[in-house]
Amino acid sequence: MSEGIPIHDEDLLRLRHGNAEARARLAALAGDDPTIGRRLADWDRQDAAMRALYGPLGEEPVPARHLDALAAADPVPRRIPPPYARIAAAIALLAIGWAGGWFAALHLGPGATRPELAAEALRAYSTYVVEVAHPVEVPASDEAHLVTWLSKRLGHPITPPDFASYGFHLLGGRVVPDPNGTAALMMYEDDTGRRITLYVAPTANATETAFRFAEGDGAKGFWWVDAGIGCALVGDLPRETLRAIAVAAYDQLIRV
Amino acid sequence: MTLLDEIEACIPALRRYARALARDRDRADDLVQDCLERAVAGRSRWRGEGPVRAWLFRILLNRFRDQQRGAKAGLRLVPSEAMVEATRPGDQEDRLALREVHDAIGRLPTDQRAALLLVALEGFTLAEAAAALDIPEGTLTSRLARARQALRRETGRDGGPGDRMEVVR
Repeated sequence: MSEGIPIHDEDLLRLRHGNAEARARLAALAGDDPTIGRRLADWDRQDAAMRALYGPLGEEPVPARHLDALAAADPVPRRIPPPYARIAAAIALLAIGWAGGWFAALHLGPGATRPELAAEALRAYSTYVVEVAHPVEVPASDEAHLVTWLSKRLGHPITPPDFASYGFHLLGGRVVPDPNGTAALMMYEDDTGRRITLYVAPTANATETAFRFAEGDGAKGFWWVDAGIGCALVGDLPRETLRAIAVAAYDQLIRV
Repeated sequence: MTLLDEIEACIPALRRYARALARDRDRADDLVQDCLERAVAGRSRWRGEGPVRAWLFRILLNRFRDQQRGAKAGLRLVPSEAMVEATRPGDQEDRLALREVHDAIGRLPTDQRAALLLVALEGFTLAEAAAALDIPEGTLTSRLARARQALRRETGRDGGPGDRMEVVR
C-alpha cells in the first residue's frame, strides 16, 4: 500500500473475507499500521460476539421433522437430462424468443390498455409466493386436470408454458379473482427456491399491447395483452431474465 | 457421502443462521424445514454447481425474502425473542455486551443482517456469500461495511480519538 492512499473499510473487508492470500496480505498491512490493527480488532470482537450469541444454537438437537424431511426422500433421484438435450432446448427457445420478440415489437403502439392487470398480478404474486403449505391449488403433478380446470374457469384454453430452459419448473396453479372476472395464476420455481408467477386473465375488449414493465412491493414483471388475454410474468429476478421468460411465455401462449 | 448426507450435515449451520437472521425460534424452524423440503424435492434438478452448503443457504435466503415480502404486506407479526439467555454462561458484563450486540444486529436492515451473518457467523468468503445472496460482490462489500459501521456505532465503539481511518501513512 503506497503512502497517502485512502483505505476504506470496503478494501479491508475484501481482504478480511477473501481467500487465504488476501488474509495474509491484510495481516501484513495491520502489522505496519496500528489504525488498521485497531479496526480489525474491533471486527474480531464483533465476530466473536456473534459466535458467542448464536453459535450454541447450532448445537441444539435437530427437530425430528427436519430429519423426517430427508428420510421421506426418494432414495434414487431422477436423472438429470443429458447436457446436449438442455442445449438443444435452449437453442430452440432462443429461436422462439427471437421470433416472439420480433412479433411483440409489431404490436407497439398506444391504445386502451389494462394497467390494473399489472397491479393485480403483482398483488397475486406477493400473496401466494410466500405460501409454504399451499402455494398452488392444483399441483403440477396433476397437470392434465390443471389444464382442464383453468381453461374451463377462464373460458379460454390455457396450457402452462414450459420454462425449463430457464431453470424454472411448474409448481402448479390456482384461480384468483380479477377485476374482469377470473384469472389463472401459475407458479414456477427454480432449484434455488426462487419463484415466479404467470398471471393470465381474459380481456376481451382490451387493445393489444407490447411488453410493458411494472414494479412494486419487491417484485417486478412484464405484462402484455394479446389475442384476448392479458398476461403478466412476475418475479424477483433481474429485469432481462424476466423479459426473456416473458417472451417465452408469450410465444407459447399464442400457440394454443 | 450421498447428497442427502451432505444436506443433513448442513442442518446445524442452517438452524444457527436462520435463528440469528429471523430472531424467532418458530419462524426459523419453519424456514429450515421449508428449505430442506425444497432441497429434497429439487435435488434431481440441482446441477451440482458449487458446494451443497452454498446451495442450501441460497434456498433458505430465497424463502426468507419471500417471507419478508409477506411481512411487508402486513401479513405477519414477528415477535422478538430473548436469545441471549440461550448463550453460554458468562459474567454479567459479558452478557450485557452481548445483549447490546444482539439488539444492534436486530436493528440492522435485513439485507445487511443477512450479509453480515453469512461472513461473520458462517465463515463464508465474499465470493460464496455473494453467490448465496445472489448479489454482486461490490454490493455485498458495501452492505458489510455499513453493517459493521452500524454495530460499532451502536455498541459505543465509534467516535473515539484515533478512530479515523481515512489515510494510511
